[in-house]
Amino acid sequence: MQLTLLPQPDGLTIRVDEKRLDAAIATAFKDRVRSMIAAGGGGEGGGQVTLDLAGVDFMDSSGLGAVIAIYKAMPPGRQLILAGLTPNVQRVFRLTRMDSVLTIRNTADATAPRQERP
Amino acid sequence: MRAAPEPADKRLRRPLPGPRPMFHRIFRADPATVRAALQFLRARFDGSAGDEVIAKLELALAEVLNNICEHGTQAEAVRLGGRPHAPLIHLCVARHVGGIACAVTDDGQPLPPSCLDPRSLPWTGLPPDGTDAILMLPEGGFGWFLIQELTASLSYFREGRRNFLAFIVPVTEPLMQGGPATADDGWPVPGDG
Repeated sequence: MQLTLLPQPDGLTIRVDEKRLDAAIATAFKDRVRSMIAAGGGGEGGGQVTLDLAGVDFMDSSGLGAVIAIYKAMPPGRQLILAGLTPNVQRVFRLTRMDSVLTIRNTADATAPRQERP
Repeated sequence: MRAAPEPADKRLRRPLPGPRPMFHRIFRADPATVRAALQFLRARFDGSAGDEVIAKLELALAEVLNNICEHGTQAEAVRLGGRPHAPLIHLCVARHVGGIACAVTDDGQPLPPSCLDPRSLPWTGLPPDGTDAILMLPEGGFGWFLIQELTASLSYFREGRRNFLAFIVPVTEPLMQGGPATADDGWPVPGDG
Protein backbone atom coordinates (compact mmCIF):
# COMPACT_ATOMS: atom_id res chain seq x y z
CA MET A 1 0.00 0.00 0.00
CA GLN A 2 1.32 3.37 -1.04
CA LEU A 3 1.13 6.37 1.28
CA THR A 4 3.35 9.45 1.07
CA LEU A 5 4.17 11.61 4.07
CA LEU A 6 4.58 15.31 3.21
CA PRO A 7 5.64 17.57 6.10
CA GLN A 8 3.90 20.97 6.12
CA PRO A 9 4.67 24.16 8.06
CA ASP A 10 1.51 23.69 10.13
CA GLY A 11 1.37 19.93 10.35
CA LEU A 12 1.61 17.14 7.85
CA THR A 13 -0.10 15.81 4.77
CA ILE A 14 -0.57 12.13 4.09
CA ARG A 15 -1.16 11.53 0.41
CA VAL A 16 -2.99 8.31 -0.40
CA ASP A 17 -1.44 6.91 -3.58
CA GLU A 18 -4.02 4.15 -3.92
CA LYS A 19 -6.80 4.25 -6.47
CA ARG A 20 -9.06 2.09 -4.31
CA LEU A 21 -9.74 2.48 -0.59
CA ASP A 22 -11.66 -0.79 -0.22
CA ALA A 23 -12.03 -3.84 1.99
CA ALA A 24 -8.80 -5.31 0.60
CA ILE A 25 -6.68 -2.60 2.25
CA ALA A 26 -8.92 -0.80 4.76
CA THR A 27 -7.43 -2.30 7.92
CA ALA A 28 -3.82 -1.90 6.77
CA PHE A 29 -4.59 1.66 5.65
CA LYS A 30 -6.03 2.57 9.04
CA ASP A 31 -3.07 1.11 10.93
CA ARG A 32 -0.46 2.73 8.66
CA VAL A 33 -2.02 6.19 8.81
CA ARG A 34 -2.42 6.02 12.55
CA SER A 35 1.21 5.09 13.05
CA MET A 36 2.31 7.82 10.60
CA ILE A 37 0.35 10.38 12.60
CA ALA A 38 1.82 9.12 15.87
CA ALA A 39 5.38 9.15 14.52
CA GLY A 40 5.25 11.87 11.91
CA GLY A 41 5.50 14.90 14.15
CA GLY A 42 4.71 18.05 12.21
CA GLY A 43 5.42 21.12 14.27
CA GLU A 44 4.78 21.98 17.89
CA GLY A 45 2.01 19.91 19.37
CA GLY A 46 1.76 18.01 16.13
CA GLY A 47 -0.40 20.41 14.14
CA GLN A 48 -3.11 19.37 11.75
CA VAL A 49 -3.15 16.29 9.58
CA THR A 50 -4.40 16.51 6.02
CA LEU A 51 -5.44 13.31 4.32
CA ASP A 52 -5.08 13.92 0.58
CA LEU A 53 -7.56 11.64 -1.19
CA ALA A 54 -7.25 13.17 -4.66
CA GLY A 55 -5.81 9.95 -6.06
CA VAL A 56 -8.59 7.76 -4.67
CA ASP A 57 -11.13 6.90 -7.34
CA PHE A 58 -13.18 4.37 -5.37
CA MET A 59 -14.06 4.04 -1.69
CA ASP A 60 -16.53 1.65 -0.08
CA SER A 61 -17.87 1.54 3.47
CA SER A 62 -14.74 -0.28 4.64
CA GLY A 63 -12.66 2.67 3.49
CA LEU A 64 -15.13 5.04 5.09
CA GLY A 65 -14.90 3.10 8.36
CA ALA A 66 -11.11 3.34 8.25
CA VAL A 67 -11.26 7.12 7.78
CA ILE A 68 -13.71 7.43 10.68
CA ALA A 69 -11.46 5.27 12.86
CA ILE A 70 -8.49 7.52 12.02
CA TYR A 71 -10.58 10.57 12.88
CA LYS A 72 -11.64 9.09 16.20
CA ALA A 73 -8.07 8.17 17.10
CA MET A 74 -6.59 11.62 16.46
CA PRO A 75 -4.40 12.76 19.36
CA PRO A 76 -6.02 15.48 21.50
CA GLY A 77 -5.67 18.93 20.00
CA ARG A 78 -4.86 17.73 16.49
CA GLN A 79 -7.29 18.12 13.64
CA LEU A 80 -7.87 15.75 10.72
CA ILE A 81 -8.74 17.40 7.41
CA LEU A 82 -9.88 15.48 4.33
CA ALA A 83 -8.87 17.05 1.04
CA GLY A 84 -9.13 16.38 -2.68
CA LEU A 85 -12.28 14.26 -2.62
CA THR A 86 -13.13 12.81 -6.02
CA PRO A 87 -16.85 12.47 -6.91
CA ASN A 88 -16.97 8.77 -5.99
CA VAL A 89 -15.42 9.38 -2.58
CA GLN A 90 -17.56 12.46 -1.99
CA ARG A 91 -20.69 10.39 -2.69
CA VAL A 92 -19.96 7.94 0.13
CA PHE A 93 -19.39 10.74 2.65
CA ARG A 94 -22.56 12.49 1.46
CA LEU A 95 -24.84 9.43 1.45
CA THR A 96 -23.75 8.49 4.97
CA ARG A 97 -23.98 12.14 6.14
CA MET A 98 -20.40 11.88 7.33
CA ASP A 99 -19.64 15.02 5.33
CA SER A 100 -21.38 16.94 8.12
CA VAL A 101 -19.19 15.41 10.82
CA LEU A 102 -15.73 15.24 9.28
CA THR A 103 -13.76 18.29 8.17
CA ILE A 104 -13.61 18.32 4.40
CA ARG A 105 -11.64 20.94 2.49
CA ASN A 106 -13.12 21.53 -0.90
CA THR A 107 -10.26 23.30 -2.57
CA ALA A 108 -9.80 21.60 -5.87
CA ASP A 109 -6.68 23.68 -6.54
CA ALA A 110 -5.02 22.79 -3.25
CA THR A 111 -3.96 19.47 -4.69
CA ALA A 112 -2.53 18.78 -8.08
CA PRO A 113 -5.31 17.96 -10.54
CA ARG A 114 -5.40 14.36 -11.56
CA GLN A 115 -7.34 12.47 -14.10
CA GLU A 116 -10.05 10.46 -12.51
CA ARG A 117 -9.67 7.66 -14.99
CA PRO A 118 -7.02 6.76 -17.46
CA MET B 1 -2.92 -0.21 -41.71
CA ARG B 2 -5.56 -2.62 -40.54
CA ALA B 3 -4.58 -5.63 -38.56
CA ALA B 4 -5.53 -9.02 -39.88
CA PRO B 5 -8.89 -10.30 -38.56
CA GLU B 6 -8.60 -12.11 -35.26
CA PRO B 7 -9.33 -15.80 -35.15
CA ALA B 8 -12.90 -16.54 -34.12
CA ASP B 9 -11.99 -18.14 -30.78
CA LYS B 10 -10.12 -15.00 -29.72
CA ARG B 11 -12.95 -12.71 -30.77
CA LEU B 12 -15.42 -14.70 -28.70
CA ARG B 13 -13.48 -14.07 -25.54
CA ARG B 14 -13.77 -10.30 -25.87
CA PRO B 15 -16.72 -8.48 -24.31
CA LEU B 16 -19.80 -8.33 -26.44
CA PRO B 17 -19.90 -5.07 -28.33
CA GLY B 18 -22.91 -2.85 -28.14
CA PRO B 19 -24.52 -0.66 -25.52
CA ARG B 20 -25.90 -3.53 -23.40
CA PRO B 21 -22.97 -5.28 -21.78
CA MET B 22 -23.36 -8.37 -19.61
CA PHE B 23 -21.07 -9.89 -17.06
CA HIS B 24 -20.86 -13.23 -15.30
CA ARG B 25 -18.17 -14.43 -12.95
CA ILE B 26 -17.76 -17.14 -10.31
CA PHE B 27 -15.26 -16.58 -7.52
CA ARG B 28 -14.45 -17.29 -3.88
CA ALA B 29 -15.45 -14.58 -1.40
CA ASP B 30 -12.21 -12.77 -0.70
CA PRO B 31 -11.46 -9.02 -0.72
CA ALA B 32 -8.79 -9.41 -3.40
CA THR B 33 -10.99 -11.41 -5.79
CA VAL B 34 -13.87 -9.01 -5.13
CA ARG B 35 -11.64 -6.11 -6.08
CA ALA B 36 -10.56 -7.84 -9.29
CA ALA B 37 -14.17 -8.62 -10.23
CA LEU B 38 -15.25 -5.02 -9.64
CA GLN B 39 -12.40 -3.61 -11.70
CA PHE B 40 -13.29 -5.94 -14.55
CA LEU B 41 -16.94 -5.00 -14.19
CA ARG B 42 -16.20 -1.31 -14.38
CA ALA B 43 -14.07 -1.73 -17.47
CA ARG B 44 -16.86 -3.63 -19.16
CA PHE B 45 -19.74 -1.33 -18.18
CA ASP B 46 -17.96 2.00 -18.61
CA GLY B 47 -19.84 3.94 -21.25
CA SER B 48 -23.01 1.81 -21.08
CA ALA B 49 -24.58 4.40 -18.76
CA GLY B 50 -23.51 7.66 -17.13
CA ASP B 51 -20.38 7.68 -14.98
CA GLU B 52 -22.46 8.24 -11.86
CA VAL B 53 -24.61 5.18 -12.56
CA ILE B 54 -21.57 2.97 -13.11
CA ALA B 55 -20.04 4.32 -9.89
CA LYS B 56 -23.23 3.52 -7.97
CA LEU B 57 -23.29 0.03 -9.47
CA GLU B 58 -19.73 -0.58 -8.38
CA LEU B 59 -20.36 0.73 -4.87
CA ALA B 60 -23.57 -1.28 -4.37
CA LEU B 61 -21.92 -4.48 -5.56
CA ALA B 62 -18.84 -3.80 -3.43
CA GLU B 63 -21.05 -3.58 -0.33
CA VAL B 64 -22.94 -6.78 -1.17
CA LEU B 65 -19.77 -8.72 -1.95
CA ASN B 66 -17.88 -7.38 1.08
CA ASN B 67 -20.72 -8.57 3.29
CA ILE B 68 -20.40 -12.08 1.88
CA CYS B 69 -16.63 -12.00 2.50
CA GLU B 70 -17.09 -10.75 6.03
CA HIS B 71 -20.15 -12.67 7.23
CA GLY B 72 -20.78 -15.47 4.76
CA THR B 73 -18.29 -18.10 5.82
CA GLN B 74 -19.99 -21.13 7.37
CA ALA B 75 -18.41 -22.22 10.61
CA GLU B 76 -18.75 -25.89 9.66
CA ALA B 77 -17.40 -25.44 6.15
CA VAL B 78 -13.89 -26.57 6.94
CA ARG B 79 -11.65 -27.87 4.20
CA LEU B 80 -8.41 -29.76 4.39
CA GLY B 81 -5.86 -27.86 6.42
CA GLY B 82 -8.44 -26.57 8.87
CA ARG B 83 -9.20 -23.27 7.12
CA PRO B 84 -12.88 -22.48 6.63
CA HIS B 85 -14.14 -22.53 3.07
CA ALA B 86 -15.03 -19.05 1.81
CA PRO B 87 -18.43 -18.97 0.07
CA LEU B 88 -18.51 -19.38 -3.70
CA ILE B 89 -20.11 -16.34 -5.31
CA HIS B 90 -21.91 -16.25 -8.65
CA LEU B 91 -22.23 -12.70 -9.94
CA CYS B 92 -24.34 -11.81 -12.95
CA VAL B 93 -24.87 -8.24 -14.17
CA ALA B 94 -26.76 -7.09 -17.25
CA ARG B 95 -27.61 -3.71 -18.70
CA HIS B 96 -31.32 -3.42 -19.44
CA VAL B 97 -33.46 -0.54 -20.54
CA GLY B 98 -34.05 1.52 -17.42
CA GLY B 99 -31.44 -0.07 -15.24
CA ILE B 100 -28.55 -2.40 -14.60
CA ALA B 101 -29.79 -5.70 -13.19
CA CYS B 102 -27.62 -7.58 -10.70
CA ALA B 103 -27.94 -11.10 -9.32
CA VAL B 104 -25.61 -12.32 -6.61
CA THR B 105 -25.75 -15.83 -5.21
CA ASP B 106 -23.51 -17.51 -2.66
CA ASP B 107 -23.39 -20.69 -0.61
CA GLY B 108 -22.54 -18.97 2.64
CA GLN B 109 -24.48 -18.25 5.81
CA PRO B 110 -28.13 -17.32 5.30
CA LEU B 111 -28.65 -13.59 5.07
CA PRO B 112 -30.42 -12.27 8.19
CA PRO B 113 -33.84 -11.07 6.96
CA SER B 114 -33.42 -7.80 8.85
CA CYS B 115 -30.77 -6.72 6.32
CA LEU B 116 -33.57 -6.13 3.83
CA ASP B 117 -35.65 -4.07 6.24
CA PRO B 118 -35.75 -0.34 5.58
CA ARG B 119 -32.60 1.11 7.05
CA SER B 120 -31.57 4.32 8.61
CA LEU B 121 -28.03 5.40 9.18
CA PRO B 122 -26.26 3.74 12.11
CA TRP B 123 -25.64 7.25 13.32
CA THR B 124 -28.39 9.82 13.72
CA GLY B 125 -26.55 12.98 14.58
CA LEU B 126 -24.02 13.97 17.18
CA PRO B 127 -25.27 14.51 20.71
CA PRO B 128 -24.96 18.17 21.74
CA ASP B 129 -21.27 19.07 21.98
CA GLY B 130 -18.84 17.26 24.21
CA THR B 131 -15.69 15.73 22.75
CA ASP B 132 -16.79 12.25 23.76
CA ALA B 133 -19.39 12.45 21.02
CA ILE B 134 -16.68 11.76 18.46
CA LEU B 135 -15.93 8.44 20.10
CA MET B 136 -19.54 7.38 19.53
CA LEU B 137 -19.23 7.62 15.75
CA PRO B 138 -19.82 4.25 14.12
CA GLU B 139 -17.06 2.73 12.02
CA GLY B 140 -19.33 0.22 10.35
CA GLY B 141 -22.94 -0.61 9.71
CA PHE B 142 -23.16 1.55 6.59
CA GLY B 143 -23.21 -1.29 4.09
CA TRP B 144 -26.90 -2.19 3.93
CA PHE B 145 -27.89 1.44 4.20
CA LEU B 146 -25.80 2.20 1.11
CA ILE B 147 -27.14 -0.84 -0.76
CA GLN B 148 -30.69 0.30 -0.11
CA GLU B 149 -29.88 3.89 -1.10
CA LEU B 150 -28.23 2.90 -4.36
CA THR B 151 -30.56 0.17 -5.59
CA ALA B 152 -34.19 -0.55 -6.43
CA SER B 153 -36.29 -3.75 -6.41
CA LEU B 154 -34.01 -5.33 -3.84
CA SER B 155 -35.14 -8.91 -3.29
CA TYR B 156 -33.79 -11.97 -1.55
CA PHE B 157 -34.55 -15.61 -1.13
CA ARG B 158 -32.69 -18.68 0.03
CA GLU B 159 -32.95 -21.94 -1.82
CA GLY B 160 -31.14 -25.04 -0.67
CA ARG B 161 -27.69 -23.94 0.42
CA ARG B 162 -27.57 -20.72 -1.56
CA ASN B 163 -28.50 -17.10 -0.98
CA PHE B 164 -30.05 -15.29 -3.96
CA LEU B 165 -29.98 -11.51 -3.94
CA ALA B 166 -31.20 -9.44 -6.86
CA PHE B 167 -31.56 -5.71 -7.45
CA ILE B 168 -31.47 -2.98 -10.05
CA VAL B 169 -29.31 0.10 -10.23
CA PRO B 170 -31.69 2.50 -11.97
CA VAL B 171 -30.71 4.37 -15.09
CA THR B 172 -32.81 7.42 -15.79
CA GLU B 173 -31.21 8.41 -19.06
CA PRO B 174 -32.33 6.56 -22.19
CA LEU B 175 -30.26 3.59 -23.26
CA MET B 176 -27.36 4.97 -25.20
CA GLN B 177 -27.89 4.24 -28.82
CA GLY B 178 -27.27 6.17 -31.97
CA GLY B 179 -25.92 9.09 -29.97
CA PRO B 180 -23.03 11.11 -31.27
CA ALA B 181 -20.53 9.31 -29.04
CA THR B 182 -21.80 5.82 -29.77
CA ALA B 183 -20.73 3.69 -32.65
CA ASP B 184 -23.53 1.78 -34.34
CA ASP B 185 -22.31 -1.65 -33.44
CA GLY B 186 -19.76 -1.12 -30.73
CA TRP B 187 -18.64 0.79 -27.70
CA PRO B 188 -18.87 4.52 -27.30
CA VAL B 189 -15.73 6.03 -28.73
CA PRO B 190 -13.83 7.87 -25.99
CA GLY B 191 -13.22 11.49 -26.78
CA ASP B 192 -15.35 11.36 -29.89
CA GLY B 193 -18.20 13.83 -30.11
